[in-house]
Order: sequence, then C-alpha cells, then structure tokens
Amino acid sequence: MIIDINFVGLIITSIMASAVPLILASCGELITERSGVLNLGVEGMMIIGAISGFALMTVTGSLFIAVVGAMIAGVLISTIFAFLTQTLITNHVATGLALTIFGIGISAMIGKNFVGIPGKEFPVLFKSLKDTIPFLSPILFGHSIVFYFAFTLPFFTNYFLKKTKLGLIVRAVGDSPESASNQGINVKLVRYSCILYGGAMCGLAGAYLSMIYTPQWIENMTGGRGWIALALVVFSTWNPIKILIGAMIFGGLTIIQFHMQAMGVRIPVQFLTALPYIVTIVVLVVISRDSRKIRLSTPSSLGKSFYKDN
Amino acid sequence: MNTNLKISNIIKIYPGCIANDNVSLEFESGKIYALLGENGAGKSTLVKILSGVIIPDQGKIFLNKNILKLNSPLDAKKNDIGMVFQHFNLFETLSVFENLIIDSDETKENLREKIELIMKKYNFLINLDVPVLNLSAGQKQKVEIIRCLIRNPKVLIMDEPTSVLTEQETSELFLSLKKFSEEGILIIYITHKLKEVIRLCDEVAVMRKGKLVSVSEIKNENIESLANKMVGQNLKTIKKKKAKTSTDQLIKITNLNFISEDPFETNLNNINFSVNRGECLGIAGISGNGQSELFQILSGEIISNKNSIEFNKNYIGDLNPQERREYLMAFSPEDRLEQAAIPQMKIFENVALNNFKSSNFFKNGLINENKIKEHAKKIISDFNVNTDNIELKSQFLSGGNLQKLIIGRELITSPDLLICFNPTWGLDVGAINYIHETLIKINEQDKSIILISTDTDELLKLSDKISVIHKGKLSKIMNAEEVTSEKLGVLMGGGEID
Repeated sequence: MIIDINFVGLIITSIMASAVPLILASCGELITERSGVLNLGVEGMMIIGAISGFALMTVTGSLFIAVVGAMIAGVLISTIFAFLTQTLITNHVATGLALTIFGIGISAMIGKNFVGIPGKEFPVLFKSLKDTIPFLSPILFGHSIVFYFAFTLPFFTNYFLKKTKLGLIVRAVGDSPESASNQGINVKLVRYSCILYGGAMCGLAGAYLSMIYTPQWIENMTGGRGWIALALVVFSTWNPIKILIGAMIFGGLTIIQFHMQAMGVRIPVQFLTALPYIVTIVVLVVISRDSRKIRLSTPSSLGKSFYKDN
Repeated sequence: MNTNLKISNIIKIYPGCIANDNVSLEFESGKIYALLGENGAGKSTLVKILSGVIIPDQGKIFLNKNILKLNSPLDAKKNDIGMVFQHFNLFETLSVFENLIIDSDETKENLREKIELIMKKYNFLINLDVPVLNLSAGQKQKVEIIRCLIRNPKVLIMDEPTSVLTEQETSELFLSLKKFSEEGILIIYITHKLKEVIRLCDEVAVMRKGKLVSVSEIKNENIESLANKMVGQNLKTIKKKKAKTSTDQLIKITNLNFISEDPFETNLNNINFSVNRGECLGIAGISGNGQSELFQILSGEIISNKNSIEFNKNYIGDLNPQERREYLMAFSPEDRLEQAAIPQMKIFENVALNNFKSSNFFKNGLINENKIKEHAKKIISDFNVNTDNIELKSQFLSGGNLQKLIIGRELITSPDLLICFNPTWGLDVGAINYIHETLIKINEQDKSIILISTDTDELLKLSDKISVIHKGKLSKIMNAEEVTSEKLGVLMGGGEID
C-alpha cells in the first residue's frame, strides 16, 4: 500500500481539528482545578455553549455575537456552579454532575427549534496559502481563528501559571486555601474567577463544535468530549503543554477509528471510545509510582470546600 | 522608634464558649512578651484577632495610639504586624521564593536581594528554589519569619513556635528573637511551655478560660507560680520512682533494617535494643529521623523480618498490629486524629477499633453495641476523659481528652508493652501531667513502655533508659540518670559523646 503524503497531512489536520474542543475545555478546566475546584460540569457547560452559539448565530446572523454569546453562556452556567460550591459550600463532585445533567437537559429543550437548520460557513484564515506547500500547508493554513487560538492557548496558560503573579496566586490557592486566606488572598474571588474562566472556555469549545466542526445542532452533540477533557487534565498532570499532546492523542483516537473502519480493520467502536479513559488510567498508574511527583503536580486542595470560620 | 500596641476590652464569643472575655493588654517594643495559657485558654483567638484572621465581637486595638481596624490578614500586614502561625501558612508545592513573592509588591530581583540580606544577617541557610515540602520544620519556620521580616514589621507574633523544633533549633530561634527585640521589634510569644517563658521573655500575661489572669514581670515568677496561674490550681509535681532493676527481658529487637522506596521516609539501619519488664525505654530524636518508621515497624503497620522482633519469647516481626495486640502489645501513634482515631466516628465506635479477640464486640459479623458502650464508659471514667457523652464524635474532643481516650483504650486490655509516639504533643499542662502519671503508673505495675518522643524533658522524666535516633541509626542505650538534655541535644544533632 502506498501512503500518500497528502493523505497523511489530511489525517493530521482532522486530528488537530478534533483536538480543538478538547484543548479549549481542558485548558479552562485546568485553571479551575489549579485553584482547587473540581468542576465535573465540563460536558454540561460545553453543550450549553454549543446550543447558545448555534442559536445566537441562527437568530442574530452574527458569528461574532454567537461565539462571544456562547462564552458568556458558559460563564453564566458556571456561575451557578461557583455560587453553589463557593458561596453555599456544596460538594464539588455532586454539584458538577448536576451541572452536566442540567446542561444536557436544557440544551435539548432549547435545541428543539434548531434541529435540522443548516449552519453557516465560518471564515478561515490564510486560505490562499493552503495549497502552497504539500503536506505542511493544509496543516498550518486555512483554519478558523478558534483553531489557532486553541493551539496557542496551552502555551499562554503555561506562561500564566508559571510566570505571572496571578498564576502564582491561583496555584497557591489550589495548594492551600487556608494559608492563602491567612496571607490576605481572597480565596473565594480567585476560585470564582477560575470557575468562570473555565466556563468561558467550555462555552467556546461547545461553540466550536456546533458552529465550526459540524455546523449544525444535534441533541447531545458533545458526545462525551467534556468527560474526555476532564480525563485529559488528569492525564496531563495539570501541565498545559501536556494537554496539547494528550488532546492530539485523544483526538487522534477518534479520527483513526473512522479511518480504520473505512479500511476494514475490525476493532469494536466501543473499545476505541473507551481508549482515552484507559490511557488516562494507565498514565495515572505510571505517575502514581512517583509519590513526590504526584504531590508536586496535583493541586493539594482539589475538590475540597473552603470556608473561613470567623 | 518605639512601638506601643494596646488592646482593650476584646470580647469574642463562640457558640457555647467565650474565647476572649474582656481582655485588655498593653505591649511596648524592646521587650519580649509571653502570652501563656493552656490549650483553649483563648490565646490563639487573641493573636488571630491581632493578625486580622478573626474579627472580635467587641473591643479596640491601638498601634502607637492610633486605632487599628483589622478586618483581614491584609490589614494586619499593612499595619506592620507580622505573625508566624503554629501551623505554617506555607504553600508546600511552591518553591520558597514563590512563597515569599506571593504577597510582595517588589520585583523578583529586589526581593531576592532583600531575602539574601536578611538570611545573611540572621544566619539563615535556606535554598530559595526548592519546594517548601523539602524543608525541615525549622527551615519552614525560618521561611515564615523571613516572610514577616521582608515587611519590616513593628510587631512580630509567634504562635507556639517551638512545638515542632528541636532543642538546637529552639536555641537558634531564641537568639534570633532576642536580636529582633534589640532592633526594636515588639515580640509577642505565645506558648504553653513554661521553661521557654522563663528563658526568653521579659513579661508574661497568663490567660485561663478566655480571661486574662495576670500580667507580671518574669523576674517575679518561677515555673511553679506560672503553672499554678495557668491551671488555676496547685499542680502536684510528679516524680518517677527508680524502677527495680529487672532482668526479665520482654522485647528484643535484633538487626532490624528498613529500606524505603519513598524518598520522604527514612531508612533504618541495624537497630538493636531490648526492654525489660517494668522498664521505660525512651527514644529521643529530631522528628523525621526515622521515628515514625520505627514506630510503624514496632506496631506492625510495616511488616519486617519475623526474627527481628522477639516479644515474650515469640518471634512476631511478621505479624500485623491486630495479631500483635493478641500478644499483649498496645500502641499509641503520633497523630491522634489521623492514625489513632477516626475523627468522624463516635467515641464508642473509636473504642471498638482496636478490637481484640476476647472483647466480644462483634458477634457473627454484627456489632454488639451495648457491650462496646459499656466498655467505652469504663474507659471514660477510668481515664478521666472529660465528657459523659460516648455518642460524641471524636473530633470534638480536645487533644488532651482524645489522648486520654486513646491511651485508655490501649491500656484497658492491660498489655505488657505500650509503645507510644509523642503522647503529649500539643497538649496542655494538665493533660500532660495526667498522661505522665498514667505512664509512670503502668511502669510501676511491671509493664513496659517504649516512648518515642521529641520532647527531651518528657523523656528525661519518664525513661529508665534512653537512646537517640539520628538518620535511622540508634545511639547506644544509656541509663537515664547519666543523661542530660545537653547530651541528648548533641546526639540528636548527629554529634558524638563519650
């Protein structure tokens, strides 16, 4: 079998495209988790972003309003989570799960009127350069702005966490909210901000799905990507750069599954769908062998409620 | 420049407890003040108010005659009040430098320079670029102190600073504190250790049950007078009678080695010792030198070579704690709330946790609640645990009461050997006294004790023989009468004595 280099390029491009929502959602969730908050509502926030983006695009006709609106929708739904877990001190896990269920339900309700409506074409950048270099240029050029944003986001996130004062504060809160509070850091404010930022990124990830990746509204169209994004954060051991690698692997598994089916390789689809989770567990087992490393990279207060006693 | 800190009529009430009942005090710079009291006397509440962590219900604070509004720790910092908490407020996974820069407005370069200067001036040696979790307790405390010094504080409050320090580290700390005081920093020193007050401070304020009992100069006080003020009654001093020299060997450890895969644990190197009946063997050492590994091996949490531990002529090195209890061993681990008891469980449920075969606590897999409750009530009355509610969750017991409960739970089966690890850590004088009395009593009943402790006074008071553990190695075993705390200090630091 001769492998066409352009065909390989095409596969890589499609893997990257499928990695975009994973990168966006997990970079957002990574910031949230670094502040010590475990938000399991990623899937719910993504699907809210997806329906909001699609609905706003259909109603207003403006892609810009739709994308920004989807992010705002993500922020709004994550505000519910933030209010419950930070102000009313509810359990992170239960609240996050409820958020996902709520998101899936409400998106299906709003989405009823938008089923079957065709999406709009989303403008791509550097279209003219797309055919200049074989193999490379389809990978590099001719994608939406969200695509480019997603592939630079891990680097910005890394820079933010490691090099900026605010990033240090986020890490400090995740390490020990009690100490942070005693140092005069407003733990609630930091955690609220991180949750809301995570919501915005999940909203954007959802909008990418319904407006760019498959421009239409289908009920439950996130299809478990939120859960993969959550697994990805753990897989990356809370390191944004590793999210990039992980998203390519996890995204690749989906794409390769299509091509393998086309080539007649018979691997059960269910197995391939389960692979990201299996890989995450394997990675967890490997890193857990080094207790020091896991201690240094995991936010110590992850999932624990913090309240000041006065 | 003189600093005058005045607090007047501070009241803080919690449901069911008055933490500060109309407390007024005045401090002047140039002196070191002790704030003395038992656990729960309200001194921690008072300093938390001074550092802005807790807001008082009533009362005012003045710094140099200006009224201070301390609504958050930030306000205290802004007003040059520095505080080193008993439980460090550090971010373990961040580097030392990151810990210091987080609340500083200076550039990295300036701050680093400033820190280097401070470290040079006070002889602190700390690598700024390692994560805090790599540091020893003494080093962590220095990081906290540096954090305060960066801001050129007028007031420095130290909350129970020596509870995690070794003898040497304590001396170093006292030298630094005296230096700070000479430089005009007002120092408030919170403690329940009387010796330290006498050694370090100029004036002492004693608190009891939320009230200020007395303010006096140290030169007019001695340990007994302070202890009596603190407890509010005359404390009887307990002394150990010299044990009859018994030759009946109870436990013998031979060639015990332990190599850990965990970099945070200490390897044990060729440990040999034996304890006779009726004897108390004290094991001194700076925390983290292998004590917790040794305790875990002795208690069976870590299984070792079968022949390395001989107890009552049986080889038991490969038995788990449960099985060792059947041979009449008993254990009181260091961490009361994490290792010895389950905080969310009720008192009587915790009592059942070390269930021994003969107890009949469980029948056909079912819990015999009445039996356990009866047993729990007996422990509570026999061991003076200050509660009558055995349904109470253990986390609501004070440290002293919880320790009495645990020791009681272990002793009520009348074991031949009790192995305890820092049994009085963080307890107040009354509770310490009670625990010490109990330990002496069981020695008198011809039972043996292995006492692993970082408190040298305690070891000298209770032990018949003492050894020091340093970097996983045990020193030779010495008779307690020949040992002084200075000698122990040298051995604990890795030195040699002849």
